[in-house]
Amino acid sequence: MMSRIRKREQDPDITRRSLILLYVVFGAFALLLGRLYWLQVVESDRYRDLSENNRLRLRTVRAPRGLIFDRKGRAIAETQGSFNLVCSPVDVKNLEAEIGLLAEIVEFDVDDTEVLDKIRRAKRTNPYTGITVARDLRFEQVSVIEFNRENLPGFSVLVEAKRSYPYGTSFAHVLGYVGEASPEELEQSEDDSLEMGDLVGKYGLERLMDDELRGVNGGRKVEVDAAGRDQRLVEEVPFQAGGSVHTSLDADLQVTAQEALGNRAGAVIALAPRTGEVLAFYSGPSFDPNVFTRGIRKAEWQALTADPRKPMQNKGLQGTYAPGSTIKPFLALAALEAKVQEKGKTVFCTGSYRLGNHVFRCWKEKGHGTVDMYRAIVQSCDVYFYTLGLKLGPDPLAKLEKDAGLGTITGIDLPGERKGLVPDTEWKRTVSKSRWNDYESVLLGIGQGAIHLTPLEMTVGYASLGTGGEVMRPGVVSKVIGKDGKIRTFSPEMLRKLPWDTGNVEFIRKALAGVVNDYGTGGGAKLPGIVVGGKTGTAQVASVKGKMIKSEDLPYEIRDHAWFVAFAPVDDPQIVVAAMVEHGGHGGSAAAPIVKAVMQEFFRTRTVGPPRKEGT
Amino acid sequence: MSRPSKWARMEWPLLVNALALCAIGFLNVYSGTRVHGVTGTALVTKQLVWILLGVGAFFAVFLLSDGFIEETANGFFIAVLLLLVVVLLVGKVRGGAQRWISIGAFNFQPSEFAKIAVTFALARYFSGTYRYGGIGMREVLPAIGLVLAPFLLVALQPDLGSAGVFLFILAGMSVVACVRWKVLAFFAGSAVAAVPVLWYFMKEYQRQRVLTFLNPELDPLGAGYHVIQSKIAVGSGGIIGKGYLQGTQGSLRFLPEQHTDFAFAIFSEEWGFLGSLLLLVLFLLLVYRLFFLTGRSQDRFASFACGGIAVFFLTHIVINLAMVCGLFPVVGIPLPFVSYGGSSMLTGMMALGAAANLSRSRFTFQGGGGKVRRIDS
Repeated sequence: MMSRIRKREQDPDITRRSLILLYVVFGAFALLLGRLYWLQVVESDRYRDLSENNRLRLRTVRAPRGLIFDRKGRAIAETQGSFNLVCSPVDVKNLEAEIGLLAEIVEFDVDDTEVLDKIRRAKRTNPYTGITVARDLRFEQVSVIEFNRENLPGFSVLVEAKRSYPYGTSFAHVLGYVGEASPEELEQSEDDSLEMGDLVGKYGLERLMDDELRGVNGGRKVEVDAAGRDQRLVEEVPFQAGGSVHTSLDADLQVTAQEALGNRAGAVIALAPRTGEVLAFYSGPSFDPNVFTRGIRKAEWQALTADPRKPMQNKGLQGTYAPGSTIKPFLALAALEAKVQEKGKTVFCTGSYRLGNHVFRCWKEKGHGTVDMYRAIVQSCDVYFYTLGLKLGPDPLAKLEKDAGLGTITGIDLPGERKGLVPDTEWKRTVSKSRWNDYESVLLGIGQGAIHLTPLEMTVGYASLGTGGEVMRPGVVSKVIGKDGKIRTFSPEMLRKLPWDTGNVEFIRKALAGVVNDYGTGGGAKLPGIVVGGKTGTAQVASVKGKMIKSEDLPYEIRDHAWFVAFAPVDDPQIVVAAMVEHGGHGGSAAAPIVKAVMQEFFRTRTVGPPRKEGT
Repeated sequence: MSRPSKWARMEWPLLVNALALCAIGFLNVYSGTRVHGVTGTALVTKQLVWILLGVGAFFAVFLLSDGFIEETANGFFIAVLLLLVVVLLVGKVRGGAQRWISIGAFNFQPSEFAKIAVTFALARYFSGTYRYGGIGMREVLPAIGLVLAPFLLVALQPDLGSAGVFLFILAGMSVVACVRWKVLAFFAGSAVAAVPVLWYFMKEYQRQRVLTFLNPELDPLGAGYHVIQSKIAVGSGGIIGKGYLQGTQGSLRFLPEQHTDFAFAIFSEEWGFLGSLLLLVLFLLLVYRLFFLTGRSQDRFASFACGGIAVFFLTHIVINLAMVCGLFPVVGIPLPFVSYGGSSMLTGMMALGAAANLSRSRFTFQGGGGKVRRIDS
């Protein structure tokens, strides 16, 4: 055995070589130690964050949006539970395959890459935040998705709050609608309270009162395993529900207004003249805001925007129209205030009026004969007002009209208000760069020419007539109960009190009552037991040369706009209603019945004392 | 002649060192596998069985009579070669590689034993060719031929990681066996030149591993996932660690293979930099001791075999730790005594037992250490 030992002492070569290898060992261990120092000491915080990101997911619990009520406490915008399909981008394994499968269950637009792009983007930038992919799923869809759980690792169905509008199309333009916050809105959100996928008001009251209505999201911090399954709840922050908004709107009146307008295009507005409270505000044709809640599809949106009757426009707020004869009471009042013409001064109407070589026709071909101011308003005699317009001139008229609220921003608490135009010599000089001519003055008398007004301005103007010069700011919101429980009430705001002579105002009211009750043009708005005062208007859209042609015989686009504006009871108005029907024809036949229906509904539940004796 | 008994010449430091590592590994396997919910015997119980079997194997090899290992080295080598052929023919396929042979409930990897067999065979060969002033190319080529057979058989499984270990053992033992530096430099140069050739023969998943090693972010959810998650585990441990059983990377299953090849990630997440330091020191002591024995052995075979065993451990430790820290591509190399696994445990213990056995030779002519002298007198 000993014979195997070939060398009898330690071999210095071997010892030296072992030592060299030992240096290699020290080198390798020093390298490892350095690396561990780098990972565990220098970069430790970064890796700790990464490990927390691995482990913890913040699941947003969205706060329900606050409710909107009408004046009788009925919810006109409410919050309901909804099955929403939510994607957790980080857990998606095969996006195309999963979306493909979902497309068979949920009605996606297959060509629409919006959802795909959104998830792809989120996967890069914000993979731990859930994205709502589809809203308001039906029960069958939910069960099919749950059945396919295994093939959809990145998707889950959550019950979230959805916006719903029980009155459907009735309040569309006033309430507006909600939609997912856009990237710009997310950026503009000052306190970062807005998260991706949150619903924000996009239009109408929803937009205006968004800060009040939107709650504060809560969250659940959960620990997940590598497969993304929740393991345990680490921390929970409760959400804060949104505040509620109370309005002065009356759902009964609103529905009546909608039904009375029917499927015609136009606007119906009802105000309480003494307070400026908006009772009804309808614009037709309307749209269903519930469609936006579940996410409007491209085709639906295109159909809405391409419709020539512009369903997305709030015609009461944003549409401007020539006022036609509804302007006449303002002319009469301006003449009386300026003492340009006495009430008793008569004009003989032959059916037309000639100025220079131009002939202006009265709507009544045979003429009205001798008319004084009262008759001229009641019969809506054009010739009388041609002469009055010429005599008055544009500036005193424009002043009174603007004071009353015409051609101005009324200051209503709805977003997107536009103002019309009341022309005067100043406007003519600065905008048209030409001098005012008499022909224009003549046309002013019948509310044609450059003048155009929104139905809201007209309503406010007539409310001013009804109150004898108290111009109130129209308001929809009456009370807000904030997220914090604080109550803010909005009291009526008088913009100005006009120094109109009481006698003159009394006369105008009497004449307007005559329009409805004294064989005038507005007989269609007559109500039993209540004296309604109002004025018809038929605004020409296009002038037709030659013989008079009945509006109904014209093509739709150039038919006259029909107006009727009225308040009641005449001597102490509680309500003023304006109805404007686009291309509706005659004001007396097309618009007056709408006003009548709304007033009838309004007075159905109210008792009104006997009318004061006339002539006092 | 009077000789101290085997027990008197027992190499205790090696065994104590190894048992300390086993204890750490045992606790770590528990932490890494406690949430698995696997039916059957818990892995931690199995690991305890492996440790006990390993200690048995250590003593079994240690108690072999002097010279037995050297005499049987060639026979052992041929037997293991046959096993490697068998595993290629009938072995169990796991994860795309044919590496295991099943005997009852236990699976073992012949490639692990092959590492030891190659070490002994090389030691025997080099002890025959040794000459003063170093050996040259002519003597080295047969050694390469000797390693080539097991290398190819293991590479065919395919298990390039284990196959690579053979080359490291060959290289390390060549240094100890005093191969001339010129020759070593030539082979080092050839190795560098062989990289493109190797690349050509690599399987797609292996290329992917190398590529994702160079840039793990290339495929964060695929091949780069291991490295990224492992670095997160190690880094998030910080200086003092998250605490035993408090690690999240393993228990929430972000780390795959957390109890085998990535055991160190779990350990350093829970014990932090201080724990890692302790483990490094234990490993350093182990390797240092083996090199110490290499230099002190009086028998050339014993020297070379101890050197080979030292390189065997060094290779495993450094490659595994470097891989967990993201300094080396992911290969299937376990961490000795710490990773879960029977073959690795038995091989490691047998190797240490052999080192202890062979290092007895250092007492032969110098009259032994103090303890031995007392027995003598």
